[in-house]
Amino acid sequence: MQLTATYLLQLTVNGLMLGLLYALIAVGLALIFGVLEIINFAHGEFLMLGAFAMAFALPAFGLLYGPALAVSVAATAIAGLVLYELFLAKLGQGEFERSILITMGISMILLYGMQYLFTATPRMVDTSFGFAGVTIGAIRVTWSRIIGGAVAVAAFALLYAVLILTQFGRAMRAIAQNRDAALMVGIRPRTVARNAVMLATALCGLAGAVLAPIQLVQPAMGQAMIFKAFALVIIGGLGNMAGAFAAALALGMIESWIGGFFDIIWQEAAVFTLMIAVVLVKPDGLFQRGGMRVG
Amino acid sequence: MRQLPLAAAALALAALPPAFGSNYLTGVALSGVVFTVAAAALNLVYGYAGLLSFAQLGFWGIGGYCSALTVTRLGGSFWAGLLVAALVNAAVALAIGLPILRTRRHAFVIITLSFALLCALVARDWVSLTRGPLGIPGLPAPRLFGFGFTTATRFYYLVLAYAVLALGFLYALGGSRIGDTLRAIKQNEPLAQSQGVSPLPYKLAAFALSAVVTGVAGAIYVFYLKVVDPLFLDFYYMQTFLIVVIIGGAGSFWGVVLAGMVMVALPEALRFSNDLRMVIYGAILVVAMLALPRGAAGWFADRRLAALRAALE
Repeated sequence: MQLTATYLLQLTVNGLMLGLLYALIAVGLALIFGVLEIINFAHGEFLMLGAFAMAFALPAFGLLYGPALAVSVAATAIAGLVLYELFLAKLGQGEFERSILITMGISMILLYGMQYLFTATPRMVDTSFGFAGVTIGAIRVTWSRIIGGAVAVAAFALLYAVLILTQFGRAMRAIAQNRDAALMVGIRPRTVARNAVMLATALCGLAGAVLAPIQLVQPAMGQAMIFKAFALVIIGGLGNMAGAFAAALALGMIESWIGGFFDIIWQEAAVFTLMIAVVLVKPDGLFQRGGMRVG
Repeated sequence: MRQLPLAAAALALAALPPAFGSNYLTGVALSGVVFTVAAAALNLVYGYAGLLSFAQLGFWGIGGYCSALTVTRLGGSFWAGLLVAALVNAAVALAIGLPILRTRRHAFVIITLSFALLCALVARDWVSLTRGPLGIPGLPAPRLFGFGFTTATRFYYLVLAYAVLALGFLYALGGSRIGDTLRAIKQNEPLAQSQGVSPLPYKLAAFALSAVVTGVAGAIYVFYLKVVDPLFLDFYYMQTFLIVVIIGGAGSFWGVVLAGMVMVALPEALRFSNDLRMVIYGAILVVAMLALPRGAAGWFADRRLAALRAALE
């Protein structure tokens, strides 16, 4: 393989796109951990649900991207509401292991249930863009990738605005920073937790919907991504959304570059070895969770 | 030895399946016994020490590959393979256990999970050693002093002998001072520390011992399957071990042993498709965690306590 600037740029663009997708998943996980102090094992299955919703909604809307995307995001947000109200709301404080086992059970039901209903055969998803793309210089990118990237960037801008500017977001950050103090000033933990779960699953559904036209859609697609997202959340510091975002973008680039030059095993193993290395040096992750700031 | 009749009954029950003369049934029971041992090892780290470790899956796979490679590559015997599996697992568990037991319990879960996934990646991608997805087929039947464990029945008794050894060890450990210390650490680590107990060596010992027991179980099981491939590290195995521990009741020795036999044999006997079985496992896991957070054994213990309280009033 000849090393050219074009090839490097192509790898970087692909890596950025991959990193944004990882970030959509990892930031949601970090949000749920920050507010509820649990790890959602079924998070990857919400990605899969989002992708399947996209696969079913696209033909229904005559292959129009926008409405189908909205439907899959709404569907996963509602699924998140059900997840919270039926299961997560019943968890008490400090029941971390129990939360993992419950969400793992839900993940098994969703994954194998979908496999039972729709078989494990991967399906192609077509959009109105087809395989058309744009060519800038020597780089070719398909429209579904460009729009996917744009949607992810827009989602992050919106998320940032919501978390910083609205009461809805401030309450979430308050609980994540200091639970007791947040309760004292009258923030309702149940409502905030429900909002956080819905927001996180909607982000994950968005990632799945964006991914659907780029990749093949199959029931096991969430599992491959979610284990990496767990590692990202640890690298970024548990519950730290900005840290998870940074780690996800970095991983996308690293994986893409490694994939361009080395065997596939290094690409797949990069995140896990990176995480173990980080934990050896800094057991709490690279970016510590934002506690109370004094002064 | 109040438990002696229980142990004798369990053993008598376990000796039965080959008597039915069906190779299929013997195979199902054999899997049940192996999974029970692996689940009991998980019970040592999760039930007694309170560490939710997904690394068990990695140790299971390392054990399987170690024994298979010892026989096929190094020309060693099956028994040498078991020894290699035990030693490698102990070394790996001590090496990774020391750094990861220092992390918070949230991170511990994820790191052990990543370790298991890394093991699966190595099995799949280190083709020159493991032959990748092709796996290592044609593992010969173990032999001892000219006696070959060639039939399912003979292999079943070999597995049963290991199970008695391993479960007996775990039972003795659970009842010993070490078991008590582990439980104390699980219930209240700062309090245990204030009594002069250093938690790390105990946790590390539990982690390494369970790795050895799981690894040898995996090492034996691949010789029954006669092949080891990356699917041996499928997450399905970990889920099965976990469900057995949860249903039986984490921390309860007999609960886990009984749940192991029931949970593995039941769906096999009903012959569900694999997907449907996993859906049912998932549903059982969710319901059990919501309704019986301490498993069947915990539920019975609560009833007994309630009856005692009622009798006192």
